[in-house]
Amino acid sequence: MRAAGKGLGVAGVLGFTLFPVYLMVVTALNGEANAGSRTLWPADWTLKNFAYVVGEGGFGRYLSNSLLVALGTVLAGALLALLAAVAVSRFRFRFRTSVLVMVLIIQMVPVEALVIPLFIQARTLQMLDTLVGLAVVYLAFSLPFAIWTLRGFVAAVPVELEEAAYLDGASWGRMFRSVLLPLVAPGLVATSVFSFIVAWNEFIFALTFMSDDQNYTVAVGLRRFFGQHATDWGAVMAASTLITIPVMVFFVLAQKRLTDGLVAGAVKG
Amino acid sequence: MTLAERTDVEPGVAPSTHPARRRGSRTARPWLLLAPALLVMGGLLLYPLFRVLVLSLQDFGLRELVSGRTHWVGLGNYAELLGSADLWTTVLPNTVVFAVVAVALTVVFGTIVALLLARLTPVVRGVVTTAIMVAWAMPAVTGTYVWVFAFAPGDGVAVQALDALGLVDAATADPFAGRLSFYAVAALNVVHHGFPFVALTVLAGLLTIPRELTEASIVDGAGPWRRFRSLTFPMLRPVFAVVTVLSTIWDFKVFTQIYLMPGGDGVNRGVLTLGTWSYVESFAQNRYGLGAAIAVLLTALLLVVTVAYLRLLFREEEL
Repeated sequence: MRAAGKGLGVAGVLGFTLFPVYLMVVTALNGEANAGSRTLWPADWTLKNFAYVVGEGGFGRYLSNSLLVALGTVLAGALLALLAAVAVSRFRFRFRTSVLVMVLIIQMVPVEALVIPLFIQARTLQMLDTLVGLAVVYLAFSLPFAIWTLRGFVAAVPVELEEAAYLDGASWGRMFRSVLLPLVAPGLVATSVFSFIVAWNEFIFALTFMSDDQNYTVAVGLRRFFGQHATDWGAVMAASTLITIPVMVFFVLAQKRLTDGLVAGAVKG
Repeated sequence: MTLAERTDVEPGVAPSTHPARRRGSRTARPWLLLAPALLVMGGLLLYPLFRVLVLSLQDFGLRELVSGRTHWVGLGNYAELLGSADLWTTVLPNTVVFAVVAVALTVVFGTIVALLLARLTPVVRGVVTTAIMVAWAMPAVTGTYVWVFAFAPGDGVAVQALDALGLVDAATADPFAGRLSFYAVAALNVVHHGFPFVALTVLAGLLTIPRELTEASIVDGAGPWRRFRSLTFPMLRPVFAVVTVLSTIWDFKVFTQIYLMPGGDGVNRGVLTLGTWSYVESFAQNRYGLGAAIAVLLTALLLVVTVAYLRLLFREEEL
C-alpha cells in the first residue's frame, strides 16, 4: 500500500514535470503540426520542422546572436564577479556591509522598472539594436547573484593557503592566480552557468531593444513563427526545442553543483 | 540570494569565522577590486532606478523622447494611476491574488515533492531529481508557449482532455478569454517553473534532520501528519521562510509568462498585472511617465517583501 502510494507519487511528479518538454519535442517532430495536428503521438515523424526553422526561418542567425550575447555576459561577468567576491570576502573595509546589502536588495528590483529608463538611456547612447548593448544589460543583471554566490566559494578557501603562498614569497597577484583562482573554479563554473542562462532566456529587454530582426535573440526570434491568424506550431516547437536543449543540458550536467550551490540560489527567469 | 541556505543547508561553510585580515588595513585594494562591478551595477541598476522615479514625475511621451525636453507634471501620473478604476478592480487584484495563490501552490506542492523525494531509494530519487531539473531548466518563454499550445482553444491537447472528462466543451471553451481560467493556466506554468527550487531546497533541509529524531517520534507513536507539524516544520522553519519570501518576490514580478499568453500583452485589459500594464502603457501607448509611475508602485510593493526577506536573513547569519 505504502509502496503503491510512493509509486503513484513518483509517476505523478514525473508526468507533471516532463509533460511540457514531451509535448514540445513531440510537436516539433510532428510532420502535420503545421496542418493543425494536435496529438501526443504523431503519425508522421519528421525533422523537417527543424530544417525549416534553421534554414528558411532564419533561426540560425538568432542562435548565433544569443550565443554571442551569452558568451560576452559570461566572460565579463565571471571576471567582475570574482574580483568583487574577493573584495567582500577577503577584506574588511568600511561600507563592506552596505555593499553586500545593496547587492542583495538590487536583485529584487523588477525588470519592468528598469526597462523604461534603460530604453531611453540606450536610445540616447545609440546602443539600441546592438548586441553589445544587450550584453551589457545582462551583465548588470547577472552580477549581483554571481557576486553573492562566489563570495561563499572564496570564503571557503582556507586563509592558511594564502598565507603559505605569501611565506613562499608570492605577491598578491601571484597568490590570486596560483592559489585562489584554481580553488574557486567550481564556483566560477556554477555562476557562469547561471549567467549564461540569464542571457540566453531573457525576453523583455531583447524585445524592447531589438527592432531589426537581424539582431533578434532566440527568445524574441520565436515570435516570428506566430502568424496574424494561424500559428506555425511545428516551427514554434522546433525552435523552442533548440532554445531549451542547451539550458537543459547545462542543468542536468551541473545538477550536483547546482543543487549544492544554486538551490540556494535563484535560477529563475 | 544564497546566504540563508548556506546556514541551513551547508553548516560547514561559515564565511564570517575568519579573523580580520592584517592586509585588510590596505584600504584601496578592496575598492579597486570592487570598482568594475560597482560601476556596472550603479550605472545599469541603481541609476535607472533613480531615473524611473524622476520619469514618473514627468509627462514623457514620444515628443519628449525625440526632443529630449522635460515636462514636469508633479504627482500627476500618480494621481491618474491611483484614481484609475482599472488599478483597483483589475490590475492590483490580479497581481496580488495571483502572486499569493501561485506562492501557496508552489510552496505546498514543492514541499510535498520534497517529502516524497526524501522517502525514495537513491536511484529513484536521482531519476525524479533529474526530471525536476528538466522542468526547472525550461526557459520561461518556451515553457509559456508550450502551455499556451496545450490549452489552445478548440484543439489543444489539454482542452481536449478536459473535454473528454466532461469538464469543458472543447468547441466553445477559450481558456484565455476569462480572467479566472487565464490565471489558472498562468499559475500552472508558474508552479511548474517554480516548484523545483522549493522541492530541492526543502529536500536539502530534510536531509539535515537527524534520523534519531524521526525514529524517536515514530516510537512515540506520532503519525506522518503529526511528525510534519511538530518536528519537520519547526526544524525547517528558516528554510520555509526563505523559499516563501523568494517565491513571493519572483511571482510578483512575473512578466514573460503573462505577456506571452494570448491577450496578455494588453489586448485583454482584464488580465493586466502591474508589470504588463507598466510595459504596455510605456511601449505600446508611449506614455513612459505613467508607465514609470506604475513601475514605481510595483517596486515599492516588492521593497516591502524584500525588507521582510532581509530581516529574516540578518537574523540568520552575520554578513
